[in-house]
Amino acid sequence: MAITAPRERVDRLGLLLTVAGAAALIWLPFVVFKSNRIVPGEPRGLHEVLPLWAALGVQAVLLGTAAVALGVTDARKRLAAALAGIVVLALAAAAAANTLTPPGNKVVRTALGGAAWVLLLCLGLMATDAITRMRPGPLTRVLLLAMTLAVVGAALSHGTFDNLSVMREYAVNARRFPRELLRHIWLAGGSLIAAVLVGLPLGILCHRVPRLRPPVLGTLGVIQTIPGIALFGILMAPLGALAARVPAAAALGVSGIGAAPAVVALFLYSLLPIVANTVIGLRRVSHAAVDAACGMGMTGAQLLSRIELPLALPVILTGIRVVLVQNIGMVTVAALIGGGGLGTFVFQGIGQTAIDLVLLGAIPIVALGFSASVLLDALIETLDHTSSASAATRP
Amino acid sequence: MARILKSLCAVALLAFAAASPLEAAVVVSSKLSAESAMIGQMIRLLLDAHGIPTVDRLRIGATPVVRQALLAGEIDLYVEYTGNAGLFFNDKADPAWKDLEQGYELGSRLDYAANRIVWLTPARASNAWALAVRGDVAQAYHLRTMSDFARWVSDGGDVVLICSAEFANAGTLRSLERTYGFRLRSAQLIVLAGGETAATIAAAAAGTNGANTAMVYGTDGGITAAHLQVLEDDRHEQPVYAPVPVIRESVLRQYPQIAAIVRPLMESFDPETLQRLNERVQINGESDEAVATEYLKSRGWLK
Repeated sequence: MAITAPRERVDRLGLLLTVAGAAALIWLPFVVFKSNRIVPGEPRGLHEVLPLWAALGVQAVLLGTAAVALGVTDARKRLAAALAGIVVLALAAAAAANTLTPPGNKVVRTALGGAAWVLLLCLGLMATDAITRMRPGPLTRVLLLAMTLAVVGAALSHGTFDNLSVMREYAVNARRFPRELLRHIWLAGGSLIAAVLVGLPLGILCHRVPRLRPPVLGTLGVIQTIPGIALFGILMAPLGALAARVPAAAALGVSGIGAAPAVVALFLYSLLPIVANTVIGLRRVSHAAVDAACGMGMTGAQLLSRIELPLALPVILTGIRVVLVQNIGMVTVAALIGGGGLGTFVFQGIGQTAIDLVLLGAIPIVALGFSASVLLDALIETLDHTSSASAATRP
Repeated sequence: MARILKSLCAVALLAFAAASPLEAAVVVSSKLSAESAMIGQMIRLLLDAHGIPTVDRLRIGATPVVRQALLAGEIDLYVEYTGNAGLFFNDKADPAWKDLEQGYELGSRLDYAANRIVWLTPARASNAWALAVRGDVAQAYHLRTMSDFARWVSDGGDVVLICSAEFANAGTLRSLERTYGFRLRSAQLIVLAGGETAATIAAAAAGTNGANTAMVYGTDGGITAAHLQVLEDDRHEQPVYAPVPVIRESVLRQYPQIAAIVRPLMESFDPETLQRLNERVQINGESDEAVATEYLKSRGWLK
């Protein structure tokens, strides 16, 4: 008892986050001021950009959060402290940007500095750690995600952060942004649906005919190793030729550039996780359940649709989750072959060395991937519970 | 099951069909770069103003992608650069590319013969690689042309050039040195592995590591803001990369007035105008559409 007590008093993760956050605040700039969007920019500390009382207030809140991170074990309090820290930090950054931007000036930029990024990361880790400790059910997690997105969306549309550099890039691209965002989702989701329509039957076939498994999974594995941009490039030639030879294909929008090669490439990448997880999921189904179903006189189709697929569903969905998150990231490269999507901003930003424009594409991509992952995780957990519960009630 | 599959196929085909552009509308496209997207916007806005329906497919990719899209008929019009035709037709050595008129003549002839692509009016500006020196240095040593620069370097001028690895190693710098008769020592070079011109311009402007000369593109937006002066290629050593809208012949047949609509726009561009407009997009971060609209209005082409 005497040995474990001191270990409980200081939270290890809290200690790590506090040290990292404090070091960042001391040695790294809070924001970076740029006289235009492509110059490197000058570092500015918290006390240079905020009035004394506000800067001290921000530091006091962060100190309070650090104290909670170090000494409080109640997960709810830890979450509240982390969220308070994030809100105060975000407001401080917005205030700094407002101070540094002369009214009406559209040229100067204020970007988050190293300290702000590190602190946001630390507070984000503290918040997710607290949520994990609370062990929320799937529905609560989805609600938490929805609330977070709603609050962030409200703050962004309210104009609180309009003077921060990323939002300045958004203002310039406001007309294009929704279009590219929808296109990004459409490309990622569309190729996923196509892959499920083909991958699921293929997986079932591989399960039923074990001889097929090694060649099919081997081929899909090889495809998986081709780098994304190379696969796009490889597909440009045959699809272009197809469009040139077969007028019907061209009329349907199939061509060497644009959405077609992107969707085909993502579809090919998506097949392996879906086929492999279908095979694994079906194998996981207990022999007892299959034998019982056969004994009841179920036909092959009935066995598949009533017993095997429902029991394998959580594993199959895990494959779908992997594919969706992977696709959301990989669609980015589609911008290089005219496929559109949020990658357009990323590559345009790289071309103009405008980091803020890169972030305008990259941050929503990360948010999309994260949200998709949370949603599907919740769905999988729900199904897993119901299938194991039904298995328990009907042994 | 078969019926479900059939209807799914039908839905997929319909989705693809819906994604393909309307038959009659002119699909205006561009490369990813700020300048080509901005000129593309101007052309799109002008066509719209003249009642020609357009589809906005700007910024679809790098040169090979846009080029292939045009040849495949997926896009109808975009802004190319005259010197690139040397690349397309595998004929980089032809001296014609070093002259705007000759390069335009040769490129438009080749492209029409091979692909039925029509070159419209080119701008009198070149986006070719060039050297730019700090304004104060240019004034102190009276540097206006590359010949002036070569004289200054050969007389022991204190030059530090910042450029990309591609510029330094792929022969561009060597051929400039040969033509103008100067030689930079490796101590006078700062070579950046990636080397976007935005980085070289910023470094020369700030005098990072003593840099006072930067590799630039002739119409780069950052040049004026960074107080740099582009050195004129007075011996026409570099291929000329003049922006030129290119269009598929079949589309031009359908809307022959496009040539006349685009001509005054392209004729209104000189290097300074393009630099100023590019600066607003690249440096100030204004949207290319806003800059394009304002320019067309200032010229009275748009109400």
